[in-house]
Amino acid sequence: MMNTTWTIARKEGAQMLRSQRGIIWLLTFSGLLSAFSLLLVSNTELSLLDNAQVVYMMAGTIMAAGALLAAILGSDAYAGEKERGTLVPLLCAPIAPNALLAGKILGLLIAWGVMFVTSVPYLWAVGASGQNLGPALFYLALFGTPVVLGFGYLAMALSAPTGSVMTSLLTTVTLLMLAASPLLIGPGLRGTVIGRALDAVNPFAGALNTFDSVIIDSEPFSVQTARLFLVIAWLVGCLILARRSAGRPDFQ
Amino acid sequence: MRILKKLFAVIASILLSASISAAAQAPVSLNLQSDAKNPATPVMGDHMRFWSTISNTGSSPIEGLVAWISLVEIDPGNEQPVDLEDWSAHKAVTGASLKPGESLQTDWPMRLIKGGDYRVVVSVTDPGSNTVFTSPTLQFHVRQKSVLQAGRVLPVAAAIPLLICALMIFNKTTQRLRRERV
Repeated sequence: MMNTTWTIARKEGAQMLRSQRGIIWLLTFSGLLSAFSLLLVSNTELSLLDNAQVVYMMAGTIMAAGALLAAILGSDAYAGEKERGTLVPLLCAPIAPNALLAGKILGLLIAWGVMFVTSVPYLWAVGASGQNLGPALFYLALFGTPVVLGFGYLAMALSAPTGSVMTSLLTTVTLLMLAASPLLIGPGLRGTVIGRALDAVNPFAGALNTFDSVIIDSEPFSVQTARLFLVIAWLVGCLILARRSAGRPDFQ
Repeated sequence: MRILKKLFAVIASILLSASISAAAQAPVSLNLQSDAKNPATPVMGDHMRFWSTISNTGSSPIEGLVAWISLVEIDPGNEQPVDLEDWSAHKAVTGASLKPGESLQTDWPMRLIKGGDYRVVVSVTDPGSNTVFTSPTLQFHVRQKSVLQAGRVLPVAAAIPLLICALMIFNKTTQRLRRERV
């Protein structure tokens, strides 16, 4: 089973660095980070932001881009195979549904890893002269990975039963936009009762609040445990959903 | 000769006392204060506000008053007037009129763009006189903080997309070579 999983993961992961589609995504991602960095240095108002504040903003953007990639790859995982006519041969092959799911998610993990490595020079460029760059990278990996993989599982959970890339992608991206709204909404609005309630159940907001706490306020790991529990609960919940859906994908 | 010298001294003293009394009766008084909410130890990026009060202490109205704020950096070796372009959008009050005994209070908001020691002063003049009145100066220190360094950001922002483009070309070339071999 491990060999099968690894073969699928390698095939899926290699797309990020070898296929035209993966490279163009990576180029778009680096273009986004380049534009963001250049905007920060060229605007007087923004150039006065603390290094830590900029690293926090960039960490949130990287996680959002990773979750968007997860939504795209996850939506394509089953419905894309169906639309290309490769799902039936895949299901007829001696591959357990869980091995297929694990291979797909490992491929997504490799793609997220490539994105993470690409973003390190940018984080260094904007944050090296400030505080907490090391913790920023560590917490981006620790909290960003479950959030990104959770969106991947969610997209797969929608992709397998619907058999439609469009349906899965639209639903996941809409949910992602809702979850990532704290990136745009100011702290004042999030301070209301509804804002705090949404923050308490939103894994994306949990990860963002951890970045804020660690990068800007230099708070220790012990303060982050409740939020770590939230993002792990999100990952496990989405995994359960995906496993249920992947067991009986729509192939007709 | 002595009489001439005495006469000259008397005339000079009369002129001097006249000019002193004219200065003492300056038609404008000017005061400058820091806002109570200003940070005690301002840091780059903070906002500060100053309040000036211009009073007409003369007996005739003043028309077309012009007041402006000036900022001077006084760091040793770097003494220079500061261009307020990025610091403040409110750099002058023009065309104000003041009747005798009237006052005009103006606030001067400012964003602290650069660390260092600074002095701020407000000046006033009117088209009817060729005198410029200045307020007392206020001095403050702006603490430096670590902000973005363009020298580090620009190479990364340019190099990473170029590297990915190079990877794309490399992949295409490799694939073409493979196809040719087959």
